[in-house]
Order: sequence, then structure tokens, then C-alpha cells
Amino acid sequence: MIRYLRMFRAFASSEFQFEMEYRGNFYLSILEMFLVIGTSIAAVLVMFQHTTTMNGWTLPQMIVLLGVYYMIQGGVNLVFSPSFERLMEHVRAGTLDFHLLKPVNVQFLVSTRHLRVVRAADLALGLAVVIFGLVQVGAEIGVGPAVLFVLSLLFGIMLVYSLLLGLVTLAFWFVRVENLLAIFWAFTEAGRFPVDVYPLWLRVSLSTIVPIGIAVTAPANVIAGRMDWIAVAVLGAGTVLAVGFASALWRWGLRSYTGASA
Amino acid sequence: MIRIYRQLLVAQIQAAAQYRIQALLWMLFSIIRPVIFLAAWTAVATAQGGSVGGYSASDFAAYYIALTLVNHLCIAWNSFEFEFEIRQGRLSPKLLRPLHPLHYSVVENLVFKITTLLPLCLVLVIVALTFNVRWAGEWWHLVIFVPSIILAAALSFMLGWVVATATFWLQRINTVNTLFQRTAFIFAGQIAPLALMPEWMQVVSYALPFAYILAVPAEILRGGVTLERCLLYLVGQAVWLGLTIIAFRFAWRAGLREYSAVGA
Repeated sequence: MIRYLRMFRAFASSEFQFEMEYRGNFYLSILEMFLVIGTSIAAVLVMFQHTTTMNGWTLPQMIVLLGVYYMIQGGVNLVFSPSFERLMEHVRAGTLDFHLLKPVNVQFLVSTRHLRVVRAADLALGLAVVIFGLVQVGAEIGVGPAVLFVLSLLFGIMLVYSLLLGLVTLAFWFVRVENLLAIFWAFTEAGRFPVDVYPLWLRVSLSTIVPIGIAVTAPANVIAGRMDWIAVAVLGAGTVLAVGFASALWRWGLRSYTGASA
Repeated sequence: MIRIYRQLLVAQIQAAAQYRIQALLWMLFSIIRPVIFLAAWTAVATAQGGSVGGYSASDFAAYYIALTLVNHLCIAWNSFEFEFEIRQGRLSPKLLRPLHPLHYSVVENLVFKITTLLPLCLVLVIVALTFNVRWAGEWWHLVIFVPSIILAAALSFMLGWVVATATFWLQRINTVNTLFQRTAFIFAGQIAPLALMPEWMQVVSYALPFAYILAVPAEILRGGVTLERCLLYLVGQAVWLGLTIIAFRFAWRAGLREYSAVGA
């Protein structure tokens, strides 16, 4: 475990150095994120000019939800998406061999090897939005709900991770799966509103095919006081199942890998 | 010119036929955001007892379905592609050809829209049934929609090219693109029909070009505007299209002088 943490730190620092070579781009990315989050909040503000609740969600609760949305996106885009992008490339080119030869858990390696460090700023900005929303809610958040919030956020990120891993594993059979990922990213957009806003057919596809709906709504629900520890435990169990299933699929897919020397 | 275009169209349709699934997936991008906001506004309308600022849930459905169609017909991706073409030096051979690079991308753009129109309409029918849509227009709304959507698509396309030319000076235009995208997100009528936005935002929206690409044709197709307003909108679209074409001519000529890739 310690060894893996140390490895992750090495990945992170090398990727950070790499990214700092393009310093201007780094700062501009952060500026872009301000634009994106700012305009998203503006959109919600325009809507709430005409109403005080949306399906039982108040404005501050919606802002918390938006913050969670960007935190989850940030978490996933910080580590998993850049790593998986390279993984697909490795599978296509046959260079995954080099990863397979290393004396570490391959799933860990392909999931965390590459980082887009600037996306850590999304996590921070998302958190700032959550806190801003919390202040607006006005309620004191005790230690209990805070812990539940962090837990459900982690579960949410891992839920999205397991889906991504499953999708990327398909590359072993179909080679080109960027398009599947494109659908995934298109659907994530729906996470900006609580999942119960959508009509049934969309909700089903959001919560089963693209768990972003659950992932975003759950932590915001904790803040809104609509989710207790039992619900979070159920979410946790579901996440463990999903990750287990995805890594089983991954191991199975790996057997179909035909690299340069396999 | 017509002969050239016919040749290019045939070639592009053949090329596009290799990527049918991909085209369908890209179509999703046109659909998802309007449907999301439609769902949210429906929730708001329900919370307010059926209607908001003169828009009932069925009117929202009509507006956002119209917006999806408009969004799809006006999509333009040159500002995302052009950076790549310059960095890879792919622009150089194109510049040597007797035809302006613009024409190739016109054809690409048209073929994508033509080939995906039918599946898009199928999806829209499903959405229309789910959201219980109501069309409030007259026959002349449909007539005016035709020039309006053509102007909007041309405006969107040319505006995309103006942004693309920024690459000549900046090399990477991610940030410029995001700036344009997010401004359009707020002021093009995506987050709300313009009539529901605060006064000052409406003023800004009608001053910027983005609403003439999305909100204006969508409102016309929905049948939510009077005849005088429709004609005024058409004038606005034409003015912005003219300005954009002029801007493009200047930017292109000045940009080519900056261009320094291999072969330039």
C-alpha cells in the first residue's frame, strides 16, 4: 500500500513538472475553469429568478450540487481520464507490453500513471462552490454529515471510475472506443441538475449506464439532509460491487490483448 | 463552381459513409444539452403551477426541441479543428490548391448535417412525445424559418472561422474557444428562452451574435414571435453575417502573413 502511494507520488510529481513546461497554458486552463463554473452558476441563477424550488431543490442546494458536479469531474479528469486516454493508445499500438512487464498491479498502473495536474484546480474550485452553497444554506454542517459527504463523494468518483474502466476495457476487443467515451462525456453534462428532474427514460439511462447522476446527486443530497448513513452505506456497497465487476472485466479483457510480443 | 461542389459533395459523402456510427454519436452532442435544460425548465414550470413568464411546460418543450434542431443545423467545428491543421502543417498543402480551404469545410459541414438529419428527427419525435409538446405557430413561421436557419448556419460557420483564424497569432486557442462557448452558453438562449432572462441580459443577447444563431431561429420555428419581430430578427442575422464575413476576410489575409509552418 505504502509502495503504491509512493509510486503515485512519483507519477504526480513527474506529470507536474511536465505540465509546468507549459506554464501559460496551465494558468489559462484555470482561467477557463473559472469561466465554465461562473457561467454554470449564472445559468442556475437565471432559472431561480422564476422559482424558489426545482423538484424540491432550493437555490443553495442547487449550487452545492453544481460544486459536487465539478468536483467529481475534476477528480475523474485529474487522474483517470488522462491515464485511460494513454491506455487506449497503448492497446492500439501494442505498447501496453511495457506496462505488463512491470512488477506492479497493472490495473493500478494504467489507471493512475498519467495525471492532468491542472484539474486539481477544478476540485478546489468545485469545493469552493460547495462551501459557498453551504454558507447560503445557512445550516451548520456537523462532523457526521461532513464525513458522509466526503465518503459519498469518493464513492461517486469511484463509481464513475468503474464505468470508465469498463468502457476502456472494451478496447481489447474493439480497439477504437474513443467514441464510446465521447457518449459518456456527452451524458455527464446531465449531472448539472439533480437526477430526479429528468423523465424516466433519461433517468434510467443516467443512473445505470452513466452513474454520474447518482455520483453527483448523492453528495448533494447528504448536504440537503435527504440521505442518512444507511443510504451512504448502500451507495458504498454498490460502488464496491461496481469496482469489483469492472476489474473482473478488465482482467478478462486483458487475456484478449494481443500486443507486439503477446 | 457548382460542378466543383457537386464533386466535393460526392467525395465527402463517400468519406463520411465510413464513419456512420461516429456521426451518430456526434449527433448526441447536439441533443443532450437542450434536453437537459428542457427537463429543468419543466421542473420549474411545474413548481410554479404550470407556467413561467408566459411559457407553459409544453411551450418549453416546443422551444427546446426547436433549439435542438437549430443547434444541430448550425453546428460548426472549425475553430476546434483548425488549430490542429496549423500545428501539423496540414494547412500548407491546402493553401496550394486553387480552391479556398473554406469550401472544403463547407462541404464537410453540409454532409454531416444532411446525413444525420433523419436520425436526429427520430430522436426529437421521441422527446416531443415524452414532453407533451405544443406548437403555437402559423404557416408563415415555417416559411420565415427557412431563410432564418440558413442565415444562422452561415453565421455560425463564419464566426467559427473567425475564431479559428486566431490560431495564426496564438497557436493554441483552447481558451478563446472556451470563452466563446461559454458566452454563447449564457447569451444564445440555451439556458433559457431569451424572454425569461433579466432585462440587461436580453439587451446583451440581442447585441451579440450568438442569439441570432440559436435563440432567434428557434423562437421563429416555435412560432412564438410576431411577423414584425421575425423580420427584425432576419435583419439582425443578416447584419451579423455581413460583419462576420468582413472580419473573416481581414483576419484571414492578415493571418496568412503570420503563418509560418513548413511550406509557407
